[in-house]
Amino acid sequence: MSRSGPLPFLRAAWIVAILACLYLPIVSVVLASLANSRYMRFPHRVWTLDAYREAVGFFQTWDLHLISLQIAAGVVALSVALGTLGAMAYARYDWRGRGLFRRLLVLPVFFPQPVLGLALLLSFTAAGVVPSWKTVVIAHAVWIVPIVTLVISIRLFGYDVAQEEAAFDLGATRLQVFREVTLPALWPGIFSGALFAFLLSWSNLPLSIYTSGPDTPLPVWLFSRVATNYAPLVPAIAVIGTIVSALVVLGLVGLRGALARLR
Amino acid sequence: MHAHPARPVALALAGLTRRFGALAAVDGVTLDIAEGEFVTIVGPSGSGKSTLVRLLAGLEAPSAGRLLLRGRDITGLPANRRPTAMVFQSLALFDHRTVGQNIEFALKMKGVAPKPRRDRALELLRLVRLPEDYYGRPVTQCSGGERQRVAMARALASDPEILFLDEPLSAIDYRLRKTLEVELKELHQRTGKTFVYITHSLEEAMVMSDRIAVMRAGRFVQVGSPEEIYRRPVNRFVAAFMGEVNILAVEGGVLSGLGLAVPDAAGPFAVLRPEALRLDGGALGVEAEVAQTLLLGSRVQYHLRAGGQALIAEVPAGGRALLGPGDRARFGFDAADIAWVAE
Repeated sequence: MSRSGPLPFLRAAWIVAILACLYLPIVSVVLASLANSRYMRFPHRVWTLDAYREAVGFFQTWDLHLISLQIAAGVVALSVALGTLGAMAYARYDWRGRGLFRRLLVLPVFFPQPVLGLALLLSFTAAGVVPSWKTVVIAHAVWIVPIVTLVISIRLFGYDVAQEEAAFDLGATRLQVFREVTLPALWPGIFSGALFAFLLSWSNLPLSIYTSGPDTPLPVWLFSRVATNYAPLVPAIAVIGTIVSALVVLGLVGLRGALARLR
Repeated sequence: MHAHPARPVALALAGLTRRFGALAAVDGVTLDIAEGEFVTIVGPSGSGKSTLVRLLAGLEAPSAGRLLLRGRDITGLPANRRPTAMVFQSLALFDHRTVGQNIEFALKMKGVAPKPRRDRALELLRLVRLPEDYYGRPVTQCSGGERQRVAMARALASDPEILFLDEPLSAIDYRLRKTLEVELKELHQRTGKTFVYITHSLEEAMVMSDRIAVMRAGRFVQVGSPEEIYRRPVNRFVAAFMGEVNILAVEGGVLSGLGLAVPDAAGPFAVLRPEALRLDGGALGVEAEVAQTLLLGSRVQYHLRAGGQALIAEVPAGGRALLGPGDRARFGFDAADIAWVAE
């Protein structure tokens, strides 16, 4: 391929265009948050950070984040624990009903989320459970555990189970086998699974909207305030939420790097 | 089935049995393995040899029978508490670790400090003839033969009393396998350890073993030196397992397919090795027509037809012109070349 001519230029332009399409909505949210009027008009007459000042001082901003973080943490813990066990059962052992398990496992992923959310709310009510952020954890888990299980089980294909027997034969206890062989092999899958679980839970609206009861996760609040009573405060909190989730992800990646260096 | 009389028994198998439901994969196996002996258990797939080695290593518990290590009953001891080590068919190296970490694993589990661990690993690298700078290399960057050696070094690290090898050469190509067979034999001599080797290839067993146990349907069919197994197979199964062989039915003292009377017929079947048939001499002989000629390097193999009977003969290739398809010749042998088997 020649390095001269219009081809490299066209290729670069194409990539820039794709990136622009991806980031333009996010940039628009940032721009919207810099206004002081509840009517969207562009360019703004007044550019201001007032919305951010208000958001930071507004106790509900941090309440929303806390609830969403609580939910996401619960979902990550639950889906990594169940996903790891499910993936090991699926990938390591050949048992009756294994194929059926795989099909049943991914079924919730295909189910429309608003319907799933309503169904879960009806189930909670029927069971006499009062909706709160805890029921949201369960609702998210229904949808996210299958995904995390699949992500982790990908790591287990091509994993030689004989490694565990070899470790056992070389004098390791069952616990040491898990710590020295199984966990390091699974770890990348568990890490990606945890990231998926966090991000999917953090941004989930359709399940949260039905099952959160009096607790309000961030996306639910954003949705309701966009629909009614819009103000630049809404995009400002959306931007803060994006930054918080980005920091959590960066923190997890940094933690992983630190752990890898420790080994 | 007794071990070498001069040496003490390292491992005694007494009626070892493993049942899976109604099926006995290992069915009452008894054998004494001597200190420092190289014993090979050979059998076709499904003969129970892999289950047997898992019983010996402690990865599986027997349904019945006992296992004695230097006189101590270890039947109930799990693999991690047995002073034995195993080289796995897939090698089962720890993929996310370096060569050094793999070799040191058993010592790390024992709580040995890093410095002596490293010294031992380097010593083992020398033993298996790998350069010392392989210590820090990820095992994923090693070739097939190098991985093989790392697996050997890892198994030997904790100085096991017995080494079990479960078809470790099965995934390696022919030429490298031949080299590694010789190396393994040398390693056995250098370490002086008891080796129990599992394979489906009797050819492999022949090269390395002091003693061979031929296994079929969970039982030992024959146990003996390579020469005994080769020259005096106890039945047609063992004879055929050794490679291409002529098995002739005998009726009334006559090799029925050839119509040839043999003195002192001692069984219903005569086993005749291809190399026993030769182009000169022999008290007995058959006129045969060559159907096919296969040059195997230093030897030539003739597929023959004598009457209605197909025969295989293998003679040295040098000296005379090769026979071609359609040529006729007399192939001779002696009565002493025949191994008589009952079944």
